Amino acid sequence: MFLAILPELSILLVGLVILFLDMILPKERGNTLGWVAAVGLFLLIAVNLLVARPGSEPRLVWGGMLRHDWMGFVFKMMFMFSAAITSLFIMEVNRIGKNGEFYLLMLASTLGMCLMASASDLIMLYLAIETTSIPLYVLAGFLKHDDKSTEAGFKYLLFGAMTSAIMLYGLSLLYGFAGTTNLYALVASFGEQQISDVVLFGSLLLVLVGFGFKISVVPLHFWAPDVYEGAPTPVAGFLSTASKAAGFAVLLRVLMIAFPNLIPYWGAVIAALSTATMTLGNLLALTQKNIKRLLAYSSIAHAGYALIGLVAVSTLGITSVVFYLVVYIVTNLAAFGAVAALGRVAGSDEVAAYAGLSRRSPWLALAMLVAFLSLAGMPPFGGFVVKFVVFAAAVQADMIWLAVVGVLNSIIGLYYYLTVLKVVYLYRSEDEEKPLPIPGSYQLAIIVLAIGIVVLGTVLAPWFSLTSGAAQAIF
Amino acid sequence: MTAMPILFTLVAALTLGAALLVVTTRNLVHAALWLVLALFGVAVFFVLLSAGFLAVAQVVIYIGAIAVLMIFAIMLTRRIARDAGPQVNPNWGWALLITALFFGGLVWMVFQWPGALATQPELNPALDTVQELGKALVSPGAYLIPFEVASVLLLAALIGAIMIAWERK
Amino acid sequence: MIPLSWYLVFSAALFSIGLFGVLSRKNAIAILMGVELMLNAVNINLVSFWRYRTPELIAGQVFAIIVFAVAAAEVAVGLALIISIYRRRNTIVADDIDMLKF
Repeated sequence: MFLAILPELSILLVGLVILFLDMILPKERGNTLGWVAAVGLFLLIAVNLLVARPGSEPRLVWGGMLRHDWMGFVFKMMFMFSAAITSLFIMEVNRIGKNGEFYLLMLASTLGMCLMASASDLIMLYLAIETTSIPLYVLAGFLKHDDKSTEAGFKYLLFGAMTSAIMLYGLSLLYGFAGTTNLYALVASFGEQQISDVVLFGSLLLVLVGFGFKISVVPLHFWAPDVYEGAPTPVAGFLSTASKAAGFAVLLRVLMIAFPNLIPYWGAVIAALSTATMTLGNLLALTQKNIKRLLAYSSIAHAGYALIGLVAVSTLGITSVVFYLVVYIVTNLAAFGAVAALGRVAGSDEVAAYAGLSRRSPWLALAMLVAFLSLAGMPPFGGFVVKFVVFAAAVQADMIWLAVVGVLNSIIGLYYYLTVLKVVYLYRSEDEEKPLPIPGSYQLAIIVLAIGIVVLGTVLAPWFSLTSGAAQAIF
Repeated sequence: MTAMPILFTLVAALTLGAALLVVTTRNLVHAALWLVLALFGVAVFFVLLSAGFLAVAQVVIYIGAIAVLMIFAIMLTRRIARDAGPQVNPNWGWALLITALFFGGLVWMVFQWPGALATQPELNPALDTVQELGKALVSPGAYLIPFEVASVLLLAALIGAIMIAWERK
Repeated sequence: MIPLSWYLVFSAALFSIGLFGVLSRKNAIAILMGVELMLNAVNINLVSFWRYRTPELIAGQVFAIIVFAVAAAEVAVGLALIISIYRRRNTIVADDIDMLKF
């Protein structure tokens, strides 16, 4: 029973250590807290991988609140990884990096994400989503002397509170119709009570509003660019990767487990959302001058690609979504890390500030090249493989048109990623003689991520079997 | 038993009226006071639904803490509490339309469901719901994990709120 | 006796009023008040479902208590952010936070 929540307990442990160190360390503490968070999380990931792996038979534990399965486990490890990398990035950010509170809130949010990934009860699910979101509102607004940051946190909170209230209304109706809150018992109850499809679908739509906000699908995407732009860059990276992946984890589980009978309905809705999200995200990204806004629209588009796998409604489809998210987390963390590395020196997030970067710091430029080409879906990087798998899942499910839309969108995507790389490699600037100092923690994180992108793109078999194991485990 | 429907209608009308004033009145302090009344109406419904503990919690937490917190925030940001300009944004017509459609949809959904016509079953007199609730919240075979996670969430919110609102002099 | 539908319709009305407040208000604190109304509507739903459908299972009441906790956390963080913005700019009128503009 305790093994099932070992990742959550590990996160709490790191949080307690940080809380304690924050009290006893003097003001001139260097980056101790950040290193403790990052190293602690990496060590505990290793411990979890060794001892807390779920068995082949998924189990409901803790009164049916959580499910101990591979799906949840894979996501939990990814969330802990993102939190560790984000700690490496954040420790060098002024006015944040030495704050114990930041790490505590980030860990609380990570705890919520872990619970989201394994929640199998509506009560647990709602609480997990809020435990993820509420600390994130604070993290986005953490730079309280910066207008953009406070406004980002505030906007995020208002939209988040509204959409989560709508989602909660939907959850309450589902509980009422079924008479149970257990996700895995919902289907049977719906069948027994003979609830009509239309009523269930209506409630599901309300729930999807909340999920759609978390993964920023198109009608609910408009907060993302403003919040990413205003939030501290590493926080934006965390929001666009871990938080989004957590949204996908609950979306997959709820749709596949509780609503298999409504697949024709929600399949159509998700297909429409996917198309709109990809297309609008990519088109709006084309016009962006600010790199964080550009990455925000790009991450909206990526949510659209990942949804293609869900529309396919097959084991391959679910596998492709999980695999897509694994690669996307690593790649986007690298992209935001590079942006943070430049932004902390240049003090600007405009694309124009990247002129001459290849001369100022060839290695950072190379890391950006790897990350952006992977986002664009170029071989031999991870982004290529997962796009391929997602489109394959669509084709296998006879949704060739969706795959075609995806491919067309990838071409638009390629254009704006290359535009940024053109600025990095070809444009000259007056500062290009000035070397770009990159702190050790950034170097470490970016090297780990860049290697990850290449490994995910070249050594396929273990990742594919891992994610397909996760996909099979949710049923 | 005709008293119950009359009581229900009265409390419902009062609560909805107060709620309408919360979202329309110009003076924010008044809005907060109407909010207190609406929250109180909800507490009365909890009593009608034989959830006495929740009614008390509603009064203590919602009225005692949340509404008072809001009144404090209004006082702290007082200059705009008496803002002369319109308190609604120009799109309020659309908001009204969306809300009306939303309400219509919800009501339609409720009446599509035959279970909506159910009447209250008798409560088992041997069952003490407060005791059941307390036990459920702390037993590992029920809701221990949500209970503990809620405490983490509250702690995080506390730290976050102090962090943001506290101005170092 | 009162059928369940009365409570559900009441809750839908309260929820819609709250939603209208969130969508139409300019002042940030007023928007948060709208959210509180929405959450209260949900609680009416949860408790009435518990009372009418599963009085022997306590899930509905537990759910309502969790909603209390979340609402408290959300309001605390929300008001802290509002006060922080007010300090910087002396306004909390959400002109550019118009919910319907996107």
